[in-house]
Amino acid sequence: MEVSSVQMLYTHVIDFLYSKTLIFCAVQRCRLADDLCRLSVKLTSFSRFGRSLVRISVSDTGVGSKLEEYQYLKYRNDAVLTNQWDGMISLATTSISDSEIHNLNLNLKESDSAGRLIKLPSTAKNGDKFSGTEVSVSISKSLDDLLAEVTCFLQKMILVKIPASSFLSLICFIIRIKCNYLLYRPLSYICLFNQDPYLSWLIVCFFFQKVVMELLVGGNDPLGSQIESRILAIEGSSAYSPVESIKCLEVGFKDYVRNRHTVFSIGETLKVGTGVANSSGSSQGNSQVVEAVVIISEMSEQFPSSCIREQDMKMEVLYFKDFVPCSIAQSAVDALTSINWKSYGLALRSIADHDGCIMLEWENLPQYFHVHIAIHCYHRQVKQLVAQNSLPDRNLARKAVKCALDDLKENNHRVLLSTRALKICDCAPDLAKTLARLILSSNDLNFQEECCSLLGLQSRRVNMDNVGNCIRDKIVSVIGLNDRNSQKHKDAPSFLFEDDYLQKEDFMDEEYQEDEEAYNSLDL
Amino acid sequence: MGELCRSTIFFSDQHLCYADILPPSQVRARIEVAVLNFLKALSSNSPSISDLSLISRNSSNSRVSQGLLTGDSWIFLSHSFCTRSLTRENSAKSFIRVWKVMEMCYQILVQEKRVTQRELYYKLLCDSPDYFTSQMQVNRTIQDLVALLRCSRYSLGIMASSRGAIAGRLLLQEPNKEVVDCSTCGSSGYAISGDLELLEKLAMETDARYIIVVEKHAIFQRLAEDRVFNQIPCILITAKGFPDIATRFLLHRICRAFPNLPVLGFVDWNPAGLAILCTFKFGSIGMGLEAYRYACNVKWLGLRKDDIDQLVPEESLVPLKPRDLQIAKSLMSSEILQDSYKEEVAAMVQSGRRAEIEALYYHGYDYLVKFLATKIVQANSL
Repeated sequence: MEVSSVQMLYTHVIDFLYSKTLIFCAVQRCRLADDLCRLSVKLTSFSRFGRSLVRISVSDTGVGSKLEEYQYLKYRNDAVLTNQWDGMISLATTSISDSEIHNLNLNLKESDSAGRLIKLPSTAKNGDKFSGTEVSVSISKSLDDLLAEVTCFLQKMILVKIPASSFLSLICFIIRIKCNYLLYRPLSYICLFNQDPYLSWLIVCFFFQKVVMELLVGGNDPLGSQIESRILAIEGSSAYSPVESIKCLEVGFKDYVRNRHTVFSIGETLKVGTGVANSSGSSQGNSQVVEAVVIISEMSEQFPSSCIREQDMKMEVLYFKDFVPCSIAQSAVDALTSINWKSYGLALRSIADHDGCIMLEWENLPQYFHVHIAIHCYHRQVKQLVAQNSLPDRNLARKAVKCALDDLKENNHRVLLSTRALKICDCAPDLAKTLARLILSSNDLNFQEECCSLLGLQSRRVNMDNVGNCIRDKIVSVIGLNDRNSQKHKDAPSFLFEDDYLQKEDFMDEEYQEDEEAYNSLDL
Repeated sequence: MGELCRSTIFFSDQHLCYADILPPSQVRARIEVAVLNFLKALSSNSPSISDLSLISRNSSNSRVSQGLLTGDSWIFLSHSFCTRSLTRENSAKSFIRVWKVMEMCYQILVQEKRVTQRELYYKLLCDSPDYFTSQMQVNRTIQDLVALLRCSRYSLGIMASSRGAIAGRLLLQEPNKEVVDCSTCGSSGYAISGDLELLEKLAMETDARYIIVVEKHAIFQRLAEDRVFNQIPCILITAKGFPDIATRFLLHRICRAFPNLPVLGFVDWNPAGLAILCTFKFGSIGMGLEAYRYACNVKWLGLRKDDIDQLVPEESLVPLKPRDLQIAKSLMSSEILQDSYKEEVAAMVQSGRRAEIEALYYHGYDYLVKFLATKIVQANSL
């Protein structure tokens, strides 16, 4: 049986990833819904029996939850986990057609499937038509740590905006924290603090076609019975204009890279390439899409290298699965290792796994040069039961990343030149200087004028430098062009002199012929 | 200088590739065309970096011309090309080397000078140490340039110093200089200049009946000291090893000026010796664009198998070196070599031995003259 992404997540990080897993399912439920959806993540710290705990609640207004979503979650018996979590999940869910809200407790510690599920009294809907789910777990972890992880998670979450279907989708993260905590590095959000000394509500909003602000008046009741919410549209047109997922990823990732390196953003230039690969359909009939964005960031060389930290030399690969940030799938890692980086002038030193984040380290990169990669793999057809989704295809991931690299190379001069082309470019100044000296040593003014005219220079103002530089730039440009086109097609080579016989035979000579006569070396 | 009349008669011109002998202004013009073509391609709407196509100087591109009336044969190069390209990683540097030598030659021609290969080597070594590391590399690049521009090395303003020497019954006179009697030059003879123009202008007079081409300097000296030309009216010429173009050039001039003088080769009995003789006789591949002009009908006087069997004691034979075997192999596969020569080579290889001319001293230090005289009288040459 294929290992679902849910299980893969489970094996990596223990506590916060539960909420990631829960968020993952919540996002899919929202995708399935036709209507406007809200997804909230609440972190509430409290104490019990002298222990500090945090309650993580993920609630959404998507389609109702199915119990099968949780059947693959297994409680792993290790000391750290046992210390942090009791294995209990509180679940409240209702579908649009249900007449009541089902309340359940799931005890994952219980091996007997009958004993796992504890049904609690349902809550009546009183004829209201709505659907949604709230899933909660309580874990023993510091709120500060969790908040840091949430922030990081949200910063990535922004990158993949779920495309709207026929209606707007709004995903809004509401983080309720105790005692006026500040959120780190806010992105695209508006935060509001109420006057309650004990409780503050922090509202983070993401926009798709419209920017919305949710004003939440916080109260003590975490279920929000005293919360009033008003949604205001700030800007945007009413006309629906779908934005491609890849475009969202590109824009989001650019912002992410810029904000991540805010210290260096002065004098930083970003070059972006995007790639999309589609499968025709997996064995389970759900076609996959893999999107990749590659960003090259180059700081201006004047920036002091002492400001570069060691950890900046390793770049995290952002990975998303079905619109949720995720630990990278092994197939994507395989795809990255299988790419011929040499043809892009790069040499991969290592791929290291740090708590589910994949860090790439490169050989011999200039200190001011960084390569950022984001990969998003999703299924066209939303499946509520994520286990039904097949694993991302390695070839597809590879194809998407390659497309992104080629796109970058195509649109940016002299970027990602292959190792071979870089070597040749190193020789270009020497050749240019030689030609410049030849031209300028001539006593034939007509010849000099003709050369200058071909180079687009005024013959009266020529000197070694400007002639040499002009020739050098042209040579480098052609090398870059050939490098970009080398995969596509090979042009017939152009020769310096025309010769009727050239078409007959043309073989490429490397240095000198191997089969030279033994005494040819004397014949000079 | 170097007219083609003889070489155009009985074979088709379309196969022959040759390097023109041109005045400096025309060579400069060719270089200028090269630069303009390069810049045109670089600046065009679909810009490209032109490749350099050079006539291949290897055996697969060598052809044989069999003279029908004269019996002379020579090697020439045909229209196979090798390419130096900047866009290929491995040939990028050799591509640039050609342009660097082209730049040097252009400047030499503008200044109306001539330089030797050695001088050029030092200039390039200092100017571009990343590209030129040895004399051999410079020499090869010069040949690449000859093959690209199709003009002779001399036309490019480059001379190769000659190791050749000439002695015997020959009077030479450089323009506006004194007549030199080569029979009174001493054992080292008259040094052959590397300057082809100078050699072309030499006035010559002789009463010799034979021309003897000697492989080694030591033998040349011995014969000159013994004044062999007083006993056998001859001209002695040597290149002191593998023949340079200047020596071949002068020999060819003498042959043309005095066509009735047979040219006899006197070389060691080993593949290298025969290769040297064949270079005088047929020309060479390495400089095939020029060398074909200076081929002479040299006959192989000695040493040959019969001489070894009759005159050389067993002790004087030494084993063949691996290099000898390599040379033997290429001689055997050469289509220009006549069967009698191939038989000799086969005998060398089969015996696994070689012998130097000095082995004849077994019969006395003055034996060489007797040997030559006997051979000439017997008309025993291949």
